[in-house]
Amino acid sequence: MNSEKNENRIAWKNRLSRIFLLWVPLVLFLLFLLFPFYWTFVTSLKLPEELHSLKVIYWPQHPTFQAYEHLFGQYNFLHPMKNSLVVAAITTVISLAVSTLAAYAFSRYRFVGRKPLMVLFLTNNMFPTVLLLIPLFTIMRKMGLLYTPASLVLSYTTFTIPFSVWLLTGYLNDLPIALEEAAMIDGANRAQGFLRIVLPILLPCLLATGVYIFMQSWNEYTFAVLFTNENSRTIPVSLKMLVGQLGVQWDLITAGGIITVIPVCIMFFFAQKRLVAGLTAGAVKG
Amino acid sequence: MKKLFAVLLALSLMASMVCVASAEDVTIKFWFWADNDDYAATMQEMIADFNATNGKGITVVGEQYPWDGGGFSQNLLTAAIGGGGPDVATFKLTATPSFVGNDLLAPLDDFINNWADKDQINENLYNTMRSAGGQDAIYVMPWNTQVLYVYYRPSMFEAAGVTVPTTYEEFLDACAKLTRDTDGDGKTDVYGFGMRGSNGGQEPWGSFIYAGGGDWEHLDSEGAIKGMQDYIDLYTNGYAPETAPNDGFAEVIDNFKSGLTAMTIHHIGSSAQMMELFGDDVAAFVFPKGEGQWTSMGDTETVMFESCQNKEAAFEWMAYLATGKGQETWCTVTGNVPVAARVQEMEQFQSNPFMKVSIEGAPVAGILPVRDTTTEWIGNWPSMIQQALLGQITAEDCMKTLQADLWAE
Repeated sequence: MNSEKNENRIAWKNRLSRIFLLWVPLVLFLLFLLFPFYWTFVTSLKLPEELHSLKVIYWPQHPTFQAYEHLFGQYNFLHPMKNSLVVAAITTVISLAVSTLAAYAFSRYRFVGRKPLMVLFLTNNMFPTVLLLIPLFTIMRKMGLLYTPASLVLSYTTFTIPFSVWLLTGYLNDLPIALEEAAMIDGANRAQGFLRIVLPILLPCLLATGVYIFMQSWNEYTFAVLFTNENSRTIPVSLKMLVGQLGVQWDLITAGGIITVIPVCIMFFFAQKRLVAGLTAGAVKG
Repeated sequence: MKKLFAVLLALSLMASMVCVASAEDVTIKFWFWADNDDYAATMQEMIADFNATNGKGITVVGEQYPWDGGGFSQNLLTAAIGGGGPDVATFKLTATPSFVGNDLLAPLDDFINNWADKDQINENLYNTMRSAGGQDAIYVMPWNTQVLYVYYRPSMFEAAGVTVPTTYEEFLDACAKLTRDTDGDGKTDVYGFGMRGSNGGQEPWGSFIYAGGGDWEHLDSEGAIKGMQDYIDLYTNGYAPETAPNDGFAEVIDNFKSGLTAMTIHHIGSSAQMMELFGDDVAAFVFPKGEGQWTSMGDTETVMFESCQNKEAAFEWMAYLATGKGQETWCTVTGNVPVAARVQEMEQFQSNPFMKVSIEGAPVAGILPVRDTTTEWIGNWPSMIQQALLGQITAEDCMKTLQADLWAE
């Protein structure tokens, strides 16, 4: 009887400590993390008088989707969204293709200038973006690419490829070369070994790198503001237009912010499992 | 045969006319910023109107760029140096030295001297444009101005028993009286003055320096230090929100709109939003005179780039904006103060109380000295003022540093 009581007490204690040590901090942390998103969403639903109210309004009395209507109607936000999607998708595909091949070469071959090249790739990321602006602007103009999505794709690859090469080289170095060697013993050539053995194993890492590249291209502003015109504007520039010299269109900017994070959230939702696997690959040495 | 010859002649004449017309057709690339999407749409309508009515085959292509907290000027500079800038752009006077220093702007004197509407714009304004370039030439074309004044809430003045101040001392006194705990919980609910201690705050702050007895040329004078001390006292006595050292434009306007502050300084550009929110419960007065009087003249101009291939056509567009239909439309929609006398005299501008205060303030309105050091000085101003407001440096030390930085050779 006593031992049963003791067991119950221990179970109750365990449950309590689990609630206070795990769930309460977790909920608090989630609140801290999600509140800005909630506040952005709520702001996008407010009427102008509630937007500038002295009272903190956690939920508007008369929620309205006027801002969203305005955003997709008069403001034509779908156009920059389409541009951003095109630029981010193409940048991701090109960067992944180039950096996977480069990383494979850096990881599997030993050639003259391998280390200096790797260091060069690293130093490229140390240059402040603004330093590259004027030369890149001139290059794009002379190539006739200015104000086209291609100018953004090319400029984004200047920083996504070097970083991705380093990231993927790390993953590939952790991948035992014996796997490809086994395939080659079975009659596969180097290309087949890469395509049929390495690439499928590398998929989570490619996904993680791809998400990084996509987000960088999706959010980039400095190049986008100069290399695009009204026809090729991307989301960050389009949202920045709503912050004027004399006023901020809070309703539109928050509605735009919410719409902007949706594709990224959907992507994360589907890629989550593989993303975690990809990011932690090579983190633990066996 | 004769008929065939006549038809051929007519066709060749038509063809030559088309060729002449297309040879004269010119396209002007125009970059502008707009404060919201309604203003951007207005600009595109003005461009369409100009294209349809100029009768000279000029087609303006307008491209909107973000204001980006002043980053517009930097982007314009980068594009112009990179060889891909526009023909004409909207402009801020303070950016002139870096553009003139790189020989990017076209001098406008010849165009202006031969322009029928030259006298529509006050000579003082031309002189201000001339001084901005640091040379005798005019590189910047006036478009519209915004004179800073004090916005206030008449209902709050009435509740605190305060009348509109006519002197600087009365203004400081009003800041104290308007600071109130309205619900008796021991906390301040309304602050007398919405102070801008962060970016762009040097413009309203300049009024205090002049009222104290200083000026831009002598920021370390006794009068200027007194003005700075008054500014610090407003904050340390609790007459301005605690966040004032970090408050920029958006914060001071939001604080005023939410009723947290009873007075704040800005120009007519905010009046439409204020009236929409408060109706009759918002009014304005010119920053009152102390030892001296000064208020900041916000400015928006247009410039023509040296790289422009069709300068006459570009000037036609600039003239349309400065004194033509564009001046009337833009100032009506945005509420900015027109620079053309003809437009200033129009009923819609004369009957607007905020426009009236702007015009009243115009004689004491000016700009910061435009020097090579100005942009950097403006960038450093918030950190100096924040240190002074938070008691980390004295008013005297702050002003000595600001003087040395602005007038450094």
